[in-house]
Amino acid sequence: MAFTRRASLSFAGAAAALTLAAPRLGAQVSFRLGLTPVFRDNDAAIIEQLRATLGAAMGRSVELVQRRTYQEVTGLLLGGAVDAAWLCGYPYLQHQTALSLVAVPLWRGAPRYRSYLIAAPTDDARALADLEGSMHAFSDPDSNSGYLVTASDLARARQRPENFFARTIFTYGHRNVVRAVGAGLVRSGSVDGYVWETLASVEPDLTAQTKVIARSEWLGFPPFCARADRMASPNLRAFQSCLLNMSATEEGRRALALLQLDGMVPGTPALFDGIARRLRDFDGAR
Amino acid sequence: MQRLRHLPLTLRVPLIAALMMVLVGIVASQQVLAALGRVQDARLQELAALHIEGLSVALGPLVLRNDIWEIYDTLDRAGSAGKTPRMVLTVVAEESGRVLAASDPRRVPVDSAIDGLDANAQSLDAVSISGADQHLRVAAPLFYQGRIVGSITTELDVADLVAERRQAGLYLLIGNALATGVLALGGYLAMRRMLRPMTVLVRGMDATDGQPRPIPSTDVPKGDTELARLFLTYNAMTHAVEARVEAERRLAERERFVSLGRLSSSLAHEINNPLGGLLNATDTITRYAERPQVVRQSAALLERGLKHLRDVVRATLDENRLDHSGTRLSASDFDDLRLLIGPETARQGQSLDWQVSGAPDLLSRHDAGSLRQIILNLLLNASEAADKGGKIGLEVQARPDALVVTVTDDGPGLPEAARLRLLTSTAIPPGGGTGLRLVRDLVLKEGGEIDCAPQSKGTRIVLTFPVKEGTQLC
Repeated sequence: MAFTRRASLSFAGAAAALTLAAPRLGAQVSFRLGLTPVFRDNDAAIIEQLRATLGAAMGRSVELVQRRTYQEVTGLLLGGAVDAAWLCGYPYLQHQTALSLVAVPLWRGAPRYRSYLIAAPTDDARALADLEGSMHAFSDPDSNSGYLVTASDLARARQRPENFFARTIFTYGHRNVVRAVGAGLVRSGSVDGYVWETLASVEPDLTAQTKVIARSEWLGFPPFCARADRMASPNLRAFQSCLLNMSATEEGRRALALLQLDGMVPGTPALFDGIARRLRDFDGAR
Repeated sequence: MQRLRHLPLTLRVPLIAALMMVLVGIVASQQVLAALGRVQDARLQELAALHIEGLSVALGPLVLRNDIWEIYDTLDRAGSAGKTPRMVLTVVAEESGRVLAASDPRRVPVDSAIDGLDANAQSLDAVSISGADQHLRVAAPLFYQGRIVGSITTELDVADLVAERRQAGLYLLIGNALATGVLALGGYLAMRRMLRPMTVLVRGMDATDGQPRPIPSTDVPKGDTELARLFLTYNAMTHAVEARVEAERRLAERERFVSLGRLSSSLAHEINNPLGGLLNATDTITRYAERPQVVRQSAALLERGLKHLRDVVRATLDENRLDHSGTRLSASDFDDLRLLIGPETARQGQSLDWQVSGAPDLLSRHDAGSLRQIILNLLLNASEAADKGGKIGLEVQARPDALVVTVTDDGPGLPEAARLRLLTSTAIPPGGGTGLRLVRDLVLKEGGEIDCAPQSKGTRIVLTFPVKEGTQLC
């Protein structure tokens, strides 16, 4: 089953990451948080504010670890090289047995978001079906909004991305998907709705080069995860409490404002049922 | 160029100098522009090399993996790094020529062929701005791990460099035009100053009425310069010319007396011959004083002889009268001539064919002094040429439009030296015809023409004197 293959791949990546991180394990005193491009991870102010907020709240230094792919960050988390990670619902579901939810952000009052299908403003496509035979940009093969949603939509129509589109590329970042579509490198792209909306407010020139031609149903917002077997550790408890109470402190509110989020909730696996359905449909078609 | 030759030297020399300045200016400008072009090209080449080599390092593995997004991302970030982007477009293609990504994907889409772009692209080591093209394309192979994995084609915006070159060209043009203008003006003034003595010299030569006039010593440039020597030489020449003219005048004068000398012996005979008879007559009168008949006859003889002598003396005096000006030609002038030449032909036993016709009013349109001298000289020459017992002739026709004088003889023909004297102004040694150069000078002075067509035997000289305007009423 593909699920198993994907998981084993992730473990292989994690093992590699673990080997690389090993010399530092003994001296590790800071809390290490893995980040994926589920938010505007290119914004230095956000990264800095997040580090400051978490560090102040936890009373220890926080190290933010960024990698190119979701798979690498997931591997770091599973291998224990990072204590927690801000993942996407899709990798969470892929490793649901090994991972636990730490917190789920609230966007526009709810812990959910949507995937957008975007194209150039002048494009006359009105739905995914109109994009057949053109070039399409995905964010990451392990991204829900940036891959799974479109791939599962196609799977439900008995299509596969590599056949439906003339060519697909992975940009490893939702902002990059917007750039690729905006510059005309590709005709269309699958992008995180939350990232697109926040970009529309901070970089309107960038999103102005694109338009949303389709929105998915509401799905579980990318959650903060940790290894299930480490959930009881004081570090993680402190981290979870810090996230859930973020809106209570000035620093936390500043971080949330930068992220354009409303707060965090503990969240339940049921939040990700929508993604799970898509995952099922997608895997079923393969 | 032909037109340039008609310009005065003071204009021509500065003009030529200016022309050469323009040439030097053009060559210098070309050099400057070429140097500027080389500098720009080197700058551009360095820039393009840096750009392409920098990109090559980053793009090599990406091209090998066909990672379209990363290639685009690299190009996009490289392109937005500069504030005024020189690189308008960069296209990366794989080895087969298929475009992987371009910095402007709308212009050059992924998967299109690079051929159209690469067609007029320059290679990296030969980057050169040519013409007014504001964009320039450079293509270079993309090396990675020791082999070519694709190509990079970059379009550079060289509008500023082209404008810089055009501006430099314009400044050079204006600068050169100004410099040339100023130098040409300076050259003109300097030349005019330097050539002022030449102007004086030319004026001295021009205002001469056929006779060069020496330059006053105050106008001769000081010092031992070429010009000073030229002036001195010129002055020496004018003196030489004056001396020659004087010599010619004396020669002509002498020629007049030469013909007179020629006449004098025959005239002496002419006077001597009757003298014997006259003396006899006086002797007869003395001896036969009582015989009135004899005395009367002798007195009559004496009278005729003395009258003849008087006529001969008068003709001779007339011939040698220095001032003939104003005297018009008449039939009596021809009688005088016959009287003067008669004894000479008689002495030589030559027959004289004398045919003079013409109404007095037609004859009177011509000057007596010159014509008498001309005809007498020609008759003396004819008589000299014809042997003893030969024939000489004079024919004069007074026509309303011209007077035609023909002198003939049956001698051996005019020698070449004599012919040259009569028909040309060439300087030739003396000898060969008495006073023929004088004849020529006088004929030309009277506006006449000389024709001396070669004859099978003898000589025939035809002079034509057109009637001068304004002499009709004389």
